[in-house]
Amino acid sequence: MKLLHVEDLNIEFHDHLIPETVVFDFDLDMDEGEIVGLVGESGSGKSMSALAIAGLLSRHDMRKKGSIVFEGKEILNCPRGELRSLQGDEICMVFQEPLTSLNPVKKIGWQVEEALKIHTRLTAEERKKRAIKALEEVELENPERVYDSYPHELSGGMRQRVMIAAAMIGNPKLLIADEPTTALDVTVQSQIVELLKKINREKKTAILFISHDLSLVSQLCQRVLVMQHGYVVESGTAEQIFKSPKEEYTRRLIAAIPTCKELDEDIPVGECIAKVENVNVSFTKRNGRRTEPIHVLKNVSFTIHQSEIVGLVGESGCGKSTLAKTLIGLLHPDSGTVYLEDKNPQMIFQDPYGSLNPSKTVQFIMEEPLKNLTKMTKKERNALSLEMIEKVGLNEAYLSRFPSELSGGQRQRVCIAASLMLHPKLIIADEPVSALDVTIQAEVLKLMTDLHRELGLSFLFISHDLRVVHQMCDRILVMKEGQIVEEGNREQIYQNPKHPYTKELLMSAGLL
Amino acid sequence: MKYVWKKILSCIITLFIVSLLVFVAFAIIPGDPALSKLGTNATEASLAAMRQQMGLDKPIWERYLNWLWGAIRGDFGTSYSYSMSVASMILDKLPITLTLMIFSMCIMILIGVPLGVYASYKEGTAIDRVIQIINQINMAVPPFFSGILITLLFGVTLKFFTPGGFVSISKNPVGFFTYMFYPALAVALPKSAMILNLLYSSLNGEKKKDYVRTAYSRGNTSNAVFFGHMLKNASIPTITFLGMALADMIAGSIIIEQVFGIPGLGRILLTSIQNRDYPVVVAIIMLIAVIVIGVNFLVDVLYKLVDPRVGN
Repeated sequence: MKLLHVEDLNIEFHDHLIPETVVFDFDLDMDEGEIVGLVGESGSGKSMSALAIAGLLSRHDMRKKGSIVFEGKEILNCPRGELRSLQGDEICMVFQEPLTSLNPVKKIGWQVEEALKIHTRLTAEERKKRAIKALEEVELENPERVYDSYPHELSGGMRQRVMIAAAMIGNPKLLIADEPTTALDVTVQSQIVELLKKINREKKTAILFISHDLSLVSQLCQRVLVMQHGYVVESGTAEQIFKSPKEEYTRRLIAAIPTCKELDEDIPVGECIAKVENVNVSFTKRNGRRTEPIHVLKNVSFTIHQSEIVGLVGESGCGKSTLAKTLIGLLHPDSGTVYLEDKNPQMIFQDPYGSLNPSKTVQFIMEEPLKNLTKMTKKERNALSLEMIEKVGLNEAYLSRFPSELSGGQRQRVCIAASLMLHPKLIIADEPVSALDVTIQAEVLKLMTDLHRELGLSFLFISHDLRVVHQMCDRILVMKEGQIVEEGNREQIYQNPKHPYTKELLMSAGLL
Repeated sequence: MKYVWKKILSCIITLFIVSLLVFVAFAIIPGDPALSKLGTNATEASLAAMRQQMGLDKPIWERYLNWLWGAIRGDFGTSYSYSMSVASMILDKLPITLTLMIFSMCIMILIGVPLGVYASYKEGTAIDRVIQIINQINMAVPPFFSGILITLLFGVTLKFFTPGGFVSISKNPVGFFTYMFYPALAVALPKSAMILNLLYSSLNGEKKKDYVRTAYSRGNTSNAVFFGHMLKNASIPTITFLGMALADMIAGSIIIEQVFGIPGLGRILLTSIQNRDYPVVVAIIMLIAVIVIGVNFLVDVLYKLVDPRVGN
């Protein structure tokens, strides 16, 4: 008997006049102890299918058809009471964002034991013992202390370990992990994947691993399903999918994985346009009455030349964004000098949704810096915005739209177009593609390299994704805890890393 | 514990600043209390004598320090108009107004909280919509008007109480508390509508949060998710509101005391302002400040108990 058998699963929304189907004829078989990957871009229906299996799709405007059989028992559309006895006991879930997925006002221990409280008759003492053991098993140091902490007191990686401990405490047969590593740093990502592997090996728990990240899926899963627009377009063993994909879409997905192939033939690098020398930046942190400085940037020095793409890599909290802000003058360094030839360096941000004012048209957003900083007439401004919107591969019709009427990729194109309005020499791109789907990511990167070549722009390209950085950048700075620990050109960094931290980063990304 | 001490210290500092501002404001307001006490026919000599007797001839900082030292010991001076101790005047009326406020607070919570929780629990159903409509009307009616309606309905028509028939607590405790219930209801109704609305929308907001989905994934019943997970999170904005509502309710009770003919602090405050009886006005303002700051202190402590993220 299969552990899980899903047949002809269809999910429809009925909140509009015409029902909208988000998952079509989804089939899936899982054996005990198997790891299956479910891959697709956002909106492909992968999370919907997973939530349906976990019994967590219960909105009244939703219709589910087909059959989901778990251990011989039909669980689709079965009464909530029967479903409940499985949830948290036999079928458990881990979600993408561990901070918001934990209840902020309850202690970790309470949340980890919750499933035991619901499904067993263990005493409080026995529950605590089991919880501490579960926290130990996910390799958390000091489990007693974690037990008595609140979610906001832990780091992102620790929180996701807590989520896994809470899911595994009842020894479930099936663990559904919905993008469990997407919100985490790259070194933490690979630790979580290793942890899932260990759990699968030691406890024989079957894992349904949902991700948009094909390289992660290839590391972990035995079998893979690829979804697009609500359909499973291809399924097979991991090797079949990656080595000989049959479907066009799968091939496109795999091709779009940032590889270490350069997108750009090198163009000659000009003179120095930005120079940062011995820059120190610190913030003061208040701890009761005492204030203590936190040194965010320590003695940072580097240069950027004309037509050069410089990569800046490091994990969250290492000072990347502070460096970007210091460079464009939003922060003043405590000591050291920042020299910029360009008076109007521009920035592109990670979240194109949040960085565009939702109540203004694209045209207004693009022309705003011109109004503030130049004496151009309306006619000249309009001509320029038209030129730039075409340069980023959109057309005149987009100028009158609002940000909400654009897709994620289009929004980032608009951000890029807006940054070009003042003819900058230097653009600082802070994680410009990490919020985008992988195929869109490839398009936006292509656009940036085209602009680089055409306009001779320089970029400071900030990213945590070492593959993307390899594709884009001529020279790379590796940052850790506010210091640049290694600097070198592409070949030096990737083929012959010197600093242990660079090696660790490359190893987590599977590049060493 | 350190958090609590820090809060207490900041409360005391706030009170000092309030006292300074209030005292200075009333000292520089135009108008001569001695003149209003003796009348326009008084001679310059008798006015000067009166000023000396009232302590008005001394420099302002000395008057403030004298007043402050007295206030700390519970002596707020003598009323200009009644020639009796301000403290005893206020102490006489304080229980009446305090009863009104405590009643209003309780009624506000007892109506607003359960209905807000219930409406959110039944979100999207007919009963939810009925509650919302009544609540909108309730929120729009100011206390003095709902006071008049309550007097008409419960007093004149149903004869549950005699309008204007206030009895003191020493004469008839039961009659006192029954009478006080109606003005308290008038003060509490619009505020309970706000609490209902606030709790309703924050509960509905919590429903969409990720941790709720996690709670369901562990096999919780809907009730356990609602009461065990969401309620505590949703109560955080409501607790903040309680502190603000109280300050508003004090102002509301001053007006409502007039509507129901209650001889509370509100009445003394109004007559003292008319008579330029500044020691009484200053004392009442300080009293209100103490109550508001005190309740906000309790709210802060409660906040800390409910939300572990506060103060870190």
